[in-house]
Amino acid sequence: MYDIALDHAGAIGAALITLVFAFAFVFGLRFLAARRVAWAACITHVYEAAPSITKLAAALMLLSGGIHLALVPGHEGTTGVVFLVDGLGFVVLAVGAFLTTWWRRPAVLWLAATILAYLVWVIAGWETPDQIGIACKLIELVALGLLMRLANPTRRTWPRRLWRAIAFPLMACVTTLGIWVGGLAHPDALHAHAGALLQPVAAVATPKQQAAAAQLLADTRASIARYQDPAAAIAAGFKPGPVSKADPLRHFQNSANANVILDPNRPQALVYAQTPHGLQLIGAMFQMQRAGQWGPDPGGPLTQWHQHEGICFSPFGIEFSFETPFWTCPIGSTSITTAPMLHVWIIDNGKNGPFAADLDKAVQRELTGRS
Amino acid sequence: MPQTPSTNRSAAEIASVLVVVQASLSLVAGLSAIPFAIVEPGFRVLGLVTILMAAAMFWLARNLRRGQRWAWRWLVTLEILSLTMTALLSLLPIGTIRGPVPVLVNLAIPTAVVVLLAAAKSDARRAA
Repeated sequence: MYDIALDHAGAIGAALITLVFAFAFVFGLRFLAARRVAWAACITHVYEAAPSITKLAAALMLLSGGIHLALVPGHEGTTGVVFLVDGLGFVVLAVGAFLTTWWRRPAVLWLAATILAYLVWVIAGWETPDQIGIACKLIELVALGLLMRLANPTRRTWPRRLWRAIAFPLMACVTTLGIWVGGLAHPDALHAHAGALLQPVAAVATPKQQAAAAQLLADTRASIARYQDPAAAIAAGFKPGPVSKADPLRHFQNSANANVILDPNRPQALVYAQTPHGLQLIGAMFQMQRAGQWGPDPGGPLTQWHQHEGICFSPFGIEFSFETPFWTCPIGSTSITTAPMLHVWIIDNGKNGPFAADLDKAVQRELTGRS
Repeated sequence: MPQTPSTNRSAAEIASVLVVVQASLSLVAGLSAIPFAIVEPGFRVLGLVTILMAAAMFWLARNLRRGQRWAWRWLVTLEILSLTMTALLSLLPIGTIRGPVPVLVNLAIPTAVVVLLAAAKSDARRAA
């Protein structure tokens, strides 16, 4: 669900360069201090005197600053200016951690403001949540957690203690919720629905592709007509998937067809709808073997494959939820990405069409009584 | 550099912060299962177990800061178990580790906690 935006990819290199630069700087200072260079010895003394927690918090702020500054060239207007100010602010605070006594509170405010500003940006649709942005927020959350531990213990009154206990988990929850809302409210063009990534294709189908798509639909419809009765499908080697209260569609899979590629006579799965009158055959599903291995699309944009990402799959049945932007799933389930699949709906699939990733909601409601 | 005595923290202190981060992410994962638990009965159990685990990790982090050895032992066990599961799952072709976020959450942070806990133990031995 969350990829790396092309204009953000350079931030990974910037993060590595920042880390290498910071290590080289500290190493160089120690080298000069050992040779009795006065200013280097002074800075090294200040650095060595700082507690480890301060050093780590400063390093994380420097890392976030480096990432923000690397993203400035790819962002125009207000966003670019905000990234520039934010990045410079982090660098100043990281240096200030070793030179001042008052740096902690401004740093906490700067980190919290940066995280909240990111949420505003993604919810407003000014920025697409991607892995670089989320990783950066994780780094800032860890830095924030470290700074909160540096608070003065002499002022630990009960309201403050309670606030300190809940502030960080609350911030993590708000951050997750904000990124989720942003991602779901403003999906990019290749996300059909939450968790489904579409195969990149041309915008318009050629007449030849339209004919090929019609042929695929006709061939599939003719081929799977023999499985109208689920018992016939089972006899042919298709195994019914588990019944789910959440999903009114049931997939019958045939592992013997696992290595076949887009053969209407040997689909990887049949799709039945659980209607009030029993199971009704509504389509077939073709599937490739590995995630990211897009299948042939004879109909171009008409036969666009999709793969499901960011799903928390539990081996205890076919139960699943969506993983959090921080790539965590409930205990007992794991994040999975499916191999690309192409559905061919042999019933009228409304406005979604015969090759859509999803069954049209209205059609599904009419068939199963559930949406 | 001027520092108050309270800012003199150890490896165990940093480890406890990272455990709090992990616990918060677990809490979010558990809470996120609740909407799905309405229709998926299995996720009611998984969501509840995850929230309880998050609460336990907050408790362990607190006791690690207080120098409790049992908290240290439990955390080492949990982190190693977590890293082992991640290593096993990454061997499967299911895209468990894709990109910087899962690398940070599932590999970097647990590894850092294990290293910091080891450092905290050696510090304690030196102090003794």
